[in-house]
Amino acid sequence: MCAQTETAEIDSDRDATTIRLDDLTKRYGNVTANDAVSFSVDAGEIFGYLGPNGAGKTTTIRLLLGLIKPTAGTADVLGADITDRRALTEVKADIGYLPDSLGFEERLTGQQVLDYFARMRGDERRAELLELFHPPLEKPVETYSHGNKRMLGIVQAFMHDPELVILDEPTSGLDPLKQDRLHAFLEDERDAGKTIFFSSHVLSEVQRVCDRVGIIRDGGLVALEDIDDLLERGGKDVRVHLAEPVDEKRFTTPAMIDVETVDRTVRFTYTGEANALLGHLVRFDVEDVEIADPQLDDIFKHYYGDSTPGETG
Amino acid sequence: MTAILRLESRKRVRGSVVLIAVFAVLSALYFSMFPGIQEEMDVFEDAFPEYMFDMFGIEQLHTIEGFIAAEIYSFFWSLLLAIYFAYVGAGLIASDVQDRKMDLTLSNPVSRESVVLQKVAALWVPVVALNVGVPIIVYVGALVIGESFNPVALAMVHLLSIPYLLVCAGIGLVLSVVVDHVRRARATALTLVFVLWLVDSVSRVDPDYEWIGTLTPSRYYEETDILVHEEYAFLDAGLLLAVFLVLIVVATVVFTRRDI
Repeated sequence: MCAQTETAEIDSDRDATTIRLDDLTKRYGNVTANDAVSFSVDAGEIFGYLGPNGAGKTTTIRLLLGLIKPTAGTADVLGADITDRRALTEVKADIGYLPDSLGFEERLTGQQVLDYFARMRGDERRAELLELFHPPLEKPVETYSHGNKRMLGIVQAFMHDPELVILDEPTSGLDPLKQDRLHAFLEDERDAGKTIFFSSHVLSEVQRVCDRVGIIRDGGLVALEDIDDLLERGGKDVRVHLAEPVDEKRFTTPAMIDVETVDRTVRFTYTGEANALLGHLVRFDVEDVEIADPQLDDIFKHYYGDSTPGETG
Repeated sequence: MTAILRLESRKRVRGSVVLIAVFAVLSALYFSMFPGIQEEMDVFEDAFPEYMFDMFGIEQLHTIEGFIAAEIYSFFWSLLLAIYFAYVGAGLIASDVQDRKMDLTLSNPVSRESVVLQKVAALWVPVVALNVGVPIIVYVGALVIGESFNPVALAMVHLLSIPYLLVCAGIGLVLSVVVDHVRRARATALTLVFVLWLVDSVSRVDPDYEWIGTLTPSRYYEETDILVHEEYAFLDAGLLLAVFLVLIVVATVVFTRRDI
């Protein structure tokens, strides 16, 4: 997919591609958790890995970290083949990882947990990170809320200043303020040259922070797109409640798809710009309006069909 | 890279302290009983059927060495402590895999071999704590009731028990890398160690079947021979140590090849 020229210097070759998956496949009996997934993540980008829960995102991540072995295909992470255990172990000094479910030693305090990871790979950025994300370090982890655990996880993932950080649903459990803070932090890291692999099932946050996105569904990669293309395809779920019934033809614009009218309520997916939508709505007697992120599954159905996943983009 | 060793060692402290306390209480109990029942031990020895003594390897109950060998070492040390080591061994890997701690551990630049070895090495805490604490308690206890223990034999009954306890931990460790659920790993390990001990004990009753016990680890650690006869089977201990090393190798090989 992403052909590298043989003439390129080895260093720059390695610099350009941080992660490369080549037909990576993982089967559990009859279940195919990852089906010949291929894509590359370039250095210095935030790569979104988007898919509904159970699509196989965590499987890909665990394959990349060597926690599970591929059934077929292979992948490189920071130049190390994931089937070469020794090489992969070495490059892990430059990898940060925030798992979806955080297994900390529950009886230790947050401070002790960070000390433990610091002994294995350093903590030169610990103080700086703790200014942004501040879990109660003096308390045992078993008393932590979801959000506090997630913050502790973020600190441990970044504190050794890794080149590549793999985040699996990093905002789950974080309050909106902390989510914004994380998003801004990730953008700063990207600008500083770090590579972020960002797995999520939330379309809007991927749209917000990622540069490119791979979409996975039922274990297969269905699309690999620049974020601008995805933004066009994304759209919003809109529900408008009008003061009186309206003629659907008069109300509908080309940017609206899947329009459903029931009495005085119109539901549709809006694929245009927010300004245009608001400008359009003020011409009607609107009692109430709801604008929300569409369900990921709906988007998949719209854009990638319901049947066999095939690569686009 | 000793972060895992440090953490695991720390986790073993509480259990070790509790066990020393248990042995202190047991010792106090038996030492306080001994002066009163020493005279009646001959009667006691006659009253019980011979196979009871064969099963537990009991001899010379009227001497302090025989009494302590029978009461503390042949049961609490050889069985309960063995079960404790099997239990701990079975939790070493399986519990971290089950609650996803292993994902985070292995995201560090640390090999799976190193994880296993550091976790096993942390067993130094209960091994040292119990084998220093308990003999001191027993030795002082004997002095308090006006008896005296051969300190060399006492040291040996502990030293030679270490390979035996490690084999039990090794059995647990192998189950820990094979079985995903920590409760099942622990239950299997302690059942297995108990059954092996029972097979050894029962097979001693009939000389025709005594050979069956040669496949059990407890056959290679004879507390009564050490304490009563001052016979130190270094070769048997070496054999146990070799088995322990084989179990570690097996566990490591399995763990490095499996998905977690």
